[in-house]
Amino acid sequence: MRWRPGPIFIILALAGLLPLLDIFLPPKLQMCEAVRGVFLYAILALGLNVVTGYAGMLNLGIAAFMAVGAYAFGILTCEIYPFQLGFWPALALTIPIGAIAGFILGAPTLGLRGDYLAIVTLGFGEIIQDVLKNLEVVTKGTQGINPLPAPNFGGGEWTANDEYKWYYLFFVLLVVTVIAARNLERSRLGRAWFSIREDEIASRSMGIRVERIKLIAFATAAAIAAFAGGLSASVLSSTGEPSNYDFQISILALCIVIVGGIGSIAGVLVGSLVMVGLNSIVLVKATAWMAANGIGSQGNVLLSPNNWKFLIFGLALILAVRLKPNGLIPPRIQRAKQ
Amino acid sequence: MSVLQAHGITVKFGGLIAVQDVHFTVKQGEIYAVIGPNGAGKTTLFNAVTGIYAPTEGHVEFNGHEIVEPLTRWVIFKFVCAFFAVGVFTVVGLNIETIWKAVIIDNYKFGQPFPWSVAATSWYSTIWSLPLVKNLLPLCVGGGIGVGAAAVSWSRGRSAPDHIARSGVARTFQNIRLFNELSLVQNVLVGMDYRMKTGFMSALFRLPMFYRERREFYESAVKLLEFIGLGDRAEQAAGSLPYGFRRRLEIARALAGKPTIILLDEPAAGMNPSEVVGLMALIRQVRESGITVVLIEHHMRLVMGVSDKILVLQYGRQIAEGTPAEIRVNPKIIEAYLGSEDHG
Repeated sequence: MRWRPGPIFIILALAGLLPLLDIFLPPKLQMCEAVRGVFLYAILALGLNVVTGYAGMLNLGIAAFMAVGAYAFGILTCEIYPFQLGFWPALALTIPIGAIAGFILGAPTLGLRGDYLAIVTLGFGEIIQDVLKNLEVVTKGTQGINPLPAPNFGGGEWTANDEYKWYYLFFVLLVVTVIAARNLERSRLGRAWFSIREDEIASRSMGIRVERIKLIAFATAAAIAAFAGGLSASVLSSTGEPSNYDFQISILALCIVIVGGIGSIAGVLVGSLVMVGLNSIVLVKATAWMAANGIGSQGNVLLSPNNWKFLIFGLALILAVRLKPNGLIPPRIQRAKQ
Repeated sequence: MSVLQAHGITVKFGGLIAVQDVHFTVKQGEIYAVIGPNGAGKTTLFNAVTGIYAPTEGHVEFNGHEIVEPLTRWVIFKFVCAFFAVGVFTVVGLNIETIWKAVIIDNYKFGQPFPWSVAATSWYSTIWSLPLVKNLLPLCVGGGIGVGAAAVSWSRGRSAPDHIARSGVARTFQNIRLFNELSLVQNVLVGMDYRMKTGFMSALFRLPMFYRERREFYESAVKLLEFIGLGDRAEQAAGSLPYGFRRRLEIARALAGKPTIILLDEPAAGMNPSEVVGLMALIRQVRESGITVVLIEHHMRLVMGVSDKILVLQYGRQIAEGTPAEIRVNPKIIEAYLGSEDHG
């Protein structure tokens, strides 16, 4: 059979070539730095996609695991703590730490279904913020932990000016996450996740150990989210304050998954381009353009597009559910059926 | 030899007695049918046998023993782990500020190397120098909660459907429960899942054994689909199949785990006459491959045509058991289905 590039491959190839386009664009229109945010949210949403898309368990607290990853990365690397690991070992350690956090939340909630699980995860997301805020001895409270190291490939540490290096680091890590998610999706485990989503009683009667499979989904999602958290802490050189990892982040990740296509990797990639792209590229550039031409003003909320983002997220969600309930790029089988 | 024995199964839902004191024995290689008017408790009986409902009274034996996970050393080890995991988590969680101060902050001078060995001992001594309500009590309370939770989930899972299915009891459902968004092959592969050995890591890193296992099981799944006559639709979504084929696919999915006994819940419901003939042939083929068949059915031609023994339920009680020839002439059964002449 002749190999044909799938949608995932096409999207990733285009993303990999984007810096070439940037070279020819005037500085005002360059977007590599903003696209990094798209990559970061794509990684986070791929994690959410494992638990919500594959296993069908609504998780409204994915940002909490991102916070766990960011703070784990901060504590493991920052100079004010004794551990002082480098970028790579610390980033690698965020994965098992996130998995353990997912396990701790997942184990007591396995009996819950649908809405109840969503409420518990929502609560967990809020609790984590409060814990991080109030545990000042360990987490420095609202100050955040900084400075944090950037990767180092021998040529000294990267700074914010090494835009293309950061771009390709995010890109490579996104590709790694995509491959991992895809490998899990197309395995015995992915099939078990789908079967639970479709019909829990039937899959139990086929000998699937539902609790175990659900727990693995939870832990995997948390691990990927924590990985994204560690990465974001590194690029910001700070964990930021705990309220950076609030409900809005979880909802944005959920919007990405729903708009892109629940359970579809390519969909998540496109979804994060649409949602985060709108948020941090289109609206930001539009605000800057309007300010430069004297149309907008900071004082007038309606005239600065930056303030429209929640309106647009909500609208995008309504449109997606109304017009394309399976998402922009539905999962494979659903595509085949249409 | 009996492969399935029910001893006095009773299932109550509140005040409603759905199944009352049902005894039956299914022998190796038999085709055993359960019939009865609607609402007689046939499906409830199946659900009690496969662990979806726990019977209020009575128990089920497969191959001479009950399917409950035994209390092995491994299970006790898990309980001990749960005790210490949750207990230590509680203690550390309660005292995290004290511990962190004593271990990290007091030992670490900025810019100087960290004395790991001192820190390693100070964390231990810090915890034990706390008052008992801050270390031993939380350890016991937290650990108790951990063991309690582990024990509850273990005792619930002891005779859960997944555990029974893994011991070789497969079933289909009256209202077809296929995985509609998965392809036919994947539906069958879900049925094979518990025979597979590769785990998370070999799937994530695509180790050679992953590919070997995938190829093996894929081939046998396609073979199974060919056996039930759906080989050419292997990659279609199960939801797109016509009704009669769905029933056959459900049987294939149940066969995929290589069970010793298969329970079919109204396999002929909604089938046309020619499909029923095909189904009868399929059921006989299944029996010839050495699998014992238990089926619920309303379609009398199928029941009388294939079964070796028939159990008749009415209002949750068993009113007769026997060969098709005996059942056919039993006045009680005629009464159950058609009503007695006295009442006119």
